[in-house]
Amino acid sequence: MRRALILALLLGGVALILPLGSGARAPYALLTLGFLMLAAYTVAEIATAAKLPRVVGYLLAGIVFGPSLANIVTVEASVTLAPVTSLAISLIAFLAGAELRWSEVRDRIGGILKILTSELALTLVLVFSVLVAMREFVPFLQGTSWTETVAFSLLFATIAIVHSPAVTLAILSETKARGPLARTVLGTVLISDVAVVLAFSLALAIAQAIAPPAGFGAAVTAGTVAWELLGAIVVGAALGGAVSLYLRFVRKELFLFALLVTFLGAEVARMLHVEVLLTLLTAGFVTENLSSEKLGFALRHAMERAADPVFVVFFALAGASIRLEGLTQMWMFVIPLVLVRAGGIRFGCAIGARWAKLPDAERRHVWTGLVAQAGVAIGLAAVVAEVYPVRGAALSTLFLAVMAVNQLLGPILFKRGLAAAGELQPATARPNPETVPAEAPAT
Amino acid sequence: MSSGLILVLLVASAFVAAHFAFERLGKRFLIVSGAEYLALGILLGPQVSGIFTPALLDSLAAFPALALGWMGAIIGMRFYLPELIRIPGFTYRIALSESLLTVAVVFALEALAFMWLFDISLLLATPPALALAAIAVSSSRETYEIVSRHLGEGAFVTQLDISTAINAFVAVLTFGWLLAAFHANPTGAVRPLTSTEWLVLSAGIGLIGGALFHLFLGREDNIDRLFVALAGVLILVSGAAAYLGLSPLLAALFFGIMLVNTSRNRIEIAAALTRVERPLYFVLLIFAGATWQPSLRAWVAPVLLFVFARAAAKIGAARIGARMERSLPLLGPNWGRALLGQGGVAIALGIDYLQQDHFAFAHVVFTAVVASVLLTDMSSARLAKSVFAAIPESGGGK
Repeated sequence: MRRALILALLLGGVALILPLGSGARAPYALLTLGFLMLAAYTVAEIATAAKLPRVVGYLLAGIVFGPSLANIVTVEASVTLAPVTSLAISLIAFLAGAELRWSEVRDRIGGILKILTSELALTLVLVFSVLVAMREFVPFLQGTSWTETVAFSLLFATIAIVHSPAVTLAILSETKARGPLARTVLGTVLISDVAVVLAFSLALAIAQAIAPPAGFGAAVTAGTVAWELLGAIVVGAALGGAVSLYLRFVRKELFLFALLVTFLGAEVARMLHVEVLLTLLTAGFVTENLSSEKLGFALRHAMERAADPVFVVFFALAGASIRLEGLTQMWMFVIPLVLVRAGGIRFGCAIGARWAKLPDAERRHVWTGLVAQAGVAIGLAAVVAEVYPVRGAALSTLFLAVMAVNQLLGPILFKRGLAAAGELQPATARPNPETVPAEAPAT
Repeated sequence: MSSGLILVLLVASAFVAAHFAFERLGKRFLIVSGAEYLALGILLGPQVSGIFTPALLDSLAAFPALALGWMGAIIGMRFYLPELIRIPGFTYRIALSESLLTVAVVFALEALAFMWLFDISLLLATPPALALAAIAVSSSRETYEIVSRHLGEGAFVTQLDISTAINAFVAVLTFGWLLAAFHANPTGAVRPLTSTEWLVLSAGIGLIGGALFHLFLGREDNIDRLFVALAGVLILVSGAAAYLGLSPLLAALFFGIMLVNTSRNRIEIAAALTRVERPLYFVLLIFAGATWQPSLRAWVAPVLLFVFARAAAKIGAARIGARMERSLPLLGPNWGRALLGQGGVAIALGIDYLQQDHFAFAHVVFTAVVASVLLTDMSSARLAKSVFAAIPESGGGK
């Protein structure tokens, strides 16, 4: 009743205000941001009551209030709110990096690499094969030569293997799961991001060689890729070093500082043309491993506090970007591709986990954390659409429809996986944020 | 430079200012910091270096609107009724008479000046004159903070506390009424709304925001959820008011008043809001500096008049108010000097006026605010010392 009243008040208020307003862009974006934060949070509560992850609630709120249905969150407002998305991605990457301690990475890296190798390889081959088999029907493959079919299918399959650190982190943040399955999934998802960027660069180079784009496409050279990745590690390490110095000597206003660091890191990475995610990931990792455990925890807690409202808006905007029209038009391709991808991940993980001799719980459930997709994948699809304006745009449309399903399905599966592995704490056992010191005392 | 990076630099400078400039200079040398950030904004803005282009400032326009709302909520949080009713009634009467007299004097003088200098009707002169009157009544809390730090509690400190709160309330209410009374007609409405309706809408946005906050929070005391609720509702309230061409300050003021009087977590809410008050003020100062467009032809007379009329009105009105309540022996004849400082509320009102496209003389009004803030910031140490000397309680007046 309370939730319905909040939504009714919000919708009624917006319906009253919109006809009386000036239509100015910046205030409308601000209005939308406030609306989205409260509405998405409320829908997430409804989702939680239905035993669904909060992320799914945020996404559903985005779909319902976005351009596909209610259109309160217009396309223009989403564009104006792009800095929030950018901040969220940076925050997620930093937090993800800060979750990894070197000793733990060293212990798990063997198993993670084995899972990653088999899962990525099997999924890539399966998605590629299905696309080639359906080439007469798939919109972006119709009427292509065999070399073009191979090129575009390879590009699609490479983007399809991308996972979602954002969803993984959001679920771990919501459930406070810190068990072996949670750690393995987090490690796999993070390392896969680097692997996928490399694989995509290679696939794009192959595609450009066998199916050259018309006119001047965006050429991707080995040097560019090397700088994007190695440069990101260097910039991220420098940023992480600076953050750990701040933690050691200043330690004040960690909440504001956390927001500034992530914003600054993202902007510097963009200016230097290095991979944003990897930069922040490295920065988080270096900070965590150079700082004492107490200080690292204080910063992480401050970031998690900042992340909560940012996550809400990030996922709601991600939901708003889902085009239901595309999904309904292409369901006959979307469903097989989603199933094949999920199958590839499941069996690939099973093979990799057996190879790494992981315990039974991890072997059976690790795949559930790898189904969700977002973030980097959208960026990669946009690159394809830029290099191949006609076929690439059609490929991007189908991919976004597939991703929309994975985005909704992934969090549900992961939460169930964590529950089945016995890593979900009962609500009463979770630490109360109020009792956790927000900042370390200044010396 | 990208807008994101500039925003980071803005906040970072404000952050450094808040912690080093204000904390150290303010506490040790009685200097109220801020003028340097206004100057920094002027240097970075389109008038001087052009690092902040007009397009860039436009792309960051949502940020000042949110900062205005945030400030409005902070002002509203000062009106906690159970504490206010313990204070004697004459304190309010002095504060209110000083505020209203200042508004009346500055409005009359500025309206006459605009009519005479620019050869315009009273109707056209009213918006800039009333905006200046609203800005004139606002006073900074820094002097109060410095005085209370040295004197502790007492009648003078209480008077200063209440006067600055009432000053801010009258300033925001007057300005909100100005925006409501001279509101451009919306194209989507069935009929033009009256000024009363716009004013009710301003209050309604704040009060519905307060209701939403409580509904949203439910019975939970979790601090993270409290922060999401506070930030979400404040963004919504500020955005709604700005979208309607109303004052985010006024809407958020009502939100703050409702929150402080109805929430169990008023201390946590006030702490969350005031924690970023100083950085926000400095960001607003940088924005103000960058947005400033001095007009050599027109600004000198109204601006000079504003600075002198305000000072005279404040000191005179404070003295009259105290005399009417027979409190002159308690407060001293020049206690109004303690209200001369201009701070965040003045800058916020100036920016709010500047963002209304349909008002004339926006840059004259804004120049007056900038000049007044710079002047009172630079003379803040001297002002604070002279206030000490004039306070009967401190012994300086004997």
